[in-house]
Amino acid sequence: MSPSDSELPLHGTRVLEIGGGLPAAFATRWLAGYGAEVARSEGPEGALTGDEEAFLLPGKRRIAVSPGELRALALAADLVVEDGAPGALAALGLDPLELRRAKPELVVTSLTPFGQNGPHAGWRASSLAAHAAGGILSLTGVMARPPLQNGLQQAWMLLGLNGFSASLAAYYGALVHGEGDWLDVSAQECAAGMLEYVGPRAAYDGTPAPRLGNRVNAIWGIFACADGYAGVCALQRQAPAFLALLGDPELLAPRFVDPVQRVQHEAELGARVERWFADKSKAELLELGAKHKVPIGAVMTPLDLLGNASLLERAFFDDTATPAGPARVPGRPFLGLPWRAGALARPGADTDAVRRAWLGSAR
Amino acid sequence: MKKLPLEGVRIADLSMMWAGPYATRLLAEMGAEVFKIESPRAWDNVRTLLPQPGAPEPWNSSYYFNDYNRDKKSLTLDLSQPRGRALFLELAAQCDCVIENYRADVLDKLGIGWDALRAARADIVLVSMAGFGKTGAERNLVGFGPIIEQMAGMASTTGYGDDGIPYKTGISYGDPIGGLAAAGAVVLALIARRRTGRGAWIDLAQRETMAQMIGPAFAAAALRRELPTHYGNRDPRIAPQGVYACAGEERWLALSARDDGEWAALARAIGAPELAGMPLAERRARHDELDRRIAAWTRTQAPDAAAATLQRVGVAASPVHDANSIHDDPHLAARGYWLELSHPKMSAWKQPVSSWRLLEARPTPRRHAPLFGEHNREILCGLLGRPEFELGELEAAGVIGSAPVNPGIG
Repeated sequence: MSPSDSELPLHGTRVLEIGGGLPAAFATRWLAGYGAEVARSEGPEGALTGDEEAFLLPGKRRIAVSPGELRALALAADLVVEDGAPGALAALGLDPLELRRAKPELVVTSLTPFGQNGPHAGWRASSLAAHAAGGILSLTGVMARPPLQNGLQQAWMLLGLNGFSASLAAYYGALVHGEGDWLDVSAQECAAGMLEYVGPRAAYDGTPAPRLGNRVNAIWGIFACADGYAGVCALQRQAPAFLALLGDPELLAPRFVDPVQRVQHEAELGARVERWFADKSKAELLELGAKHKVPIGAVMTPLDLLGNASLLERAFFDDTATPAGPARVPGRPFLGLPWRAGALARPGADTDAVRRAWLGSAR
Repeated sequence: MKKLPLEGVRIADLSMMWAGPYATRLLAEMGAEVFKIESPRAWDNVRTLLPQPGAPEPWNSSYYFNDYNRDKKSLTLDLSQPRGRALFLELAAQCDCVIENYRADVLDKLGIGWDALRAARADIVLVSMAGFGKTGAERNLVGFGPIIEQMAGMASTTGYGDDGIPYKTGISYGDPIGGLAAAGAVVLALIARRRTGRGAWIDLAQRETMAQMIGPAFAAAALRRELPTHYGNRDPRIAPQGVYACAGEERWLALSARDDGEWAALARAIGAPELAGMPLAERRARHDELDRRIAAWTRTQAPDAAAATLQRVGVAASPVHDANSIHDDPHLAARGYWLELSHPKMSAWKQPVSSWRLLEARPTPRRHAPLFGEHNREILCGLLGRPEFELGELEAAGVIGSAPVNPGIG
C-alpha cells in the first residue's frame, strides 16, 4: 500500500532543482521519493536522455519560469539544488550569498566539477574529465591500456549522491539550529577523498598505485566462469574457507594459506582459481559462496537484475509510465522510511500548480 | 562560530572496514559525536590490513584506518560477553543512532538487534547496511565492495569494448557508495523523527544503493531489453572523447568535445584546423581517426599543460590524476583540500578535508583517528557514569582493552 503524503519523511519540504543536468537531478531524485516537493526548472533541451528522465524525474514537478520567478521560488523553498557553472546562478539574479541573506534558513547546494573557487573553478568538464581529476579513473582498467571510466557518467552520479546526503545534513542543521548554509560540492573532491587505501598510502609514503584490472590477487578478483564472469573477494580471514572450497587438499598447505608465503605462489594459485571458476555457472558459484560464507559474486546486468528474486521480494523497483512505454527503474534506495513512486510529468506541466502553491499566484 | 549541522547528534558506530566507517566519518565531519566500538577480540580489520613495517602498535598507526576514522572516539567492548552487551545498550540509550554493517544475521545473534535497541531507547535510529539487506533470498551472501559492484550491474557497464570483459572499478566502489547513502539515511531518519517522534530501522542493502548509480541502464533494460554497451572512455552523445597518452610514462589526459564549438577549438589546438567544421555524426563515425590525431598532439604534451591549453580555448579537459599526483594538484591546494593532522604514532600526511564544503560553518577535521580504546575512560566513566575501579575489572575480564588480542594481518 502506498503511504499517504503526510507519512513521508520529507513531507512539507520544498526543493527547487535548477540546472537540469545529472548531478542536480540525481541529488533531488531521492528527496522527491521520500516526500519532498521537488520543483525542477528544466535545463537545456536534451540535457537528460529519455532513460535518464525515466529514472531521475518521477515524482518531480516540472516547471518553466522566468529568472525573476525562479528567485521568488528559491525564497519559497527550503533547499535549492543547482549544478550550473560557478556564477551561473548569480547571473540569473539568484546569487546564493544574497539568497542566504534574504532567507537565513535556506540551504543552497551547488554541485560543480571543480567547486566555486580556486584556479580551475571555471574549467569546463565532462563527467570523464571530472572523473580524471578525482583520481578514480587512473585506478580502473589495466596498465597495458589507458585508464578506464567505470559505469555511466560516474563523476556526475557520485556528485549527485554527495549532493543528496550533504543537502540533507545541511537541512537538518537548518531545522535544528535555524540557519542554513551554502554547500559547495565539487566532483573532483568527492572522488579525491575516497581513494580507498591507495590515496592515503600515496600521501603517507609515496607508493604509486598501478591499475590492477580485475585481478588484485589470486583470491581477490573477477574471473571468467561457465556463463559469464564472477568474482571472489577473500580477506585473509576468509582465505582458508575459499581455498578449501577449491577442493584440493594441497591448496591448504601453508604456502597458499599464509598471506606472506602466498605472495610467492600467486601465479600458481591464480591459475588454479581461474580453472575452478571456468566450469561453474554464476548460480552455482553464488550458492557455494553463501553456503561457505565466502564472498563470491557474479557479474549481473541490469536486465538480469530486473528479474532478481531478492530485489523483487524487497520491492526494490518502481514502475514508471514513460513516453517510450512502462519502465522499471531502481526505486527507494533503502527500506525503513516510507517512499513514494511518483509519476513522470511532461516538461513545464506543473508551472502553474507550483506558482499557486509556492507563490500564491498563477499567471 | 556557526554550529555544524549535526552538532548534538550522537552515534554508536559498530561498523567496520570501509562502507560504514566512511558514513560515520561524513557524519563526524558534519559535527556528530561518533563512538567507534570495537571488541578487543574483533577489531576493525582495516587497522591491521596494511601494517606499517616495524611499527610497535600497527593497529594504531594505519594511514588507511586513520583517513576514514578521523574525528571519532574509540571504545572497546566485547559484545559477546554479557557485560559488554549491557554497556553497549547503556551507551545506545544515550545515542540518537546506531549504525552497523555486519552480515545480515550478526546483530541479532549478538543480542543487540532492533528490539533490544528500541527497549534501550524508544526513538532510536538503527541503520543496518549489510551487502544484500536484511531480507530477501540473497540476504546471506557475503559481500565486499567489488562483489557489490558485480551484483549491482555496475561491473557489467564498465569495459574497453573490444574484448567483452567487464571491469571492476579500481577502488572497492561499493563501499563508499553505500557509506554516502547511509550517511544520508541517518540524517533523513533524524529529520523524520523530529516530526513524528519515532525512530526508524533503516535496512540499506549496499547492492541496492550501487544499482542506483547506473539507474538509467535499468530503464534501457526495461524499455528495450538492452544489455550494457562497453563504451571504453567514449560517450554516445559526445565525440570525440577519450583518455590520451601524454609525454612521459603513465601520463594521461582526458578530454571531451561536447559540442561543435568545443570540437572546433580542439581541432585547432591539436593542429587540425581543416577538421574544425566536422559535424557530430561524422566525428562519431571517424572517432578512431580523430583519436589518432589527438594522440599525436598529446604525446608531445605534459598533461597539466595540455589541459590548461585546452581549457583556455574552452575545451573540457583534465589531467588524469593518480594516487600521487592528486596530492600535488594546484587547484586542490588552493582550495585547502589537503590538511596535515598531527598523530602520536605517525608522521603527518595529507588528508582530505570534508568534500561537503559548508561555506559558512566551514567543517574542518579536528583530530586524528582514535587509538584503540583511547576513549574508554571518557565514555564509560564520563558519559555512562561508571566508577573508575570498574575499568580494571572490565579490562581483566577482557570486556575492554587497550590493544587487540592476537593481532595478525587482516
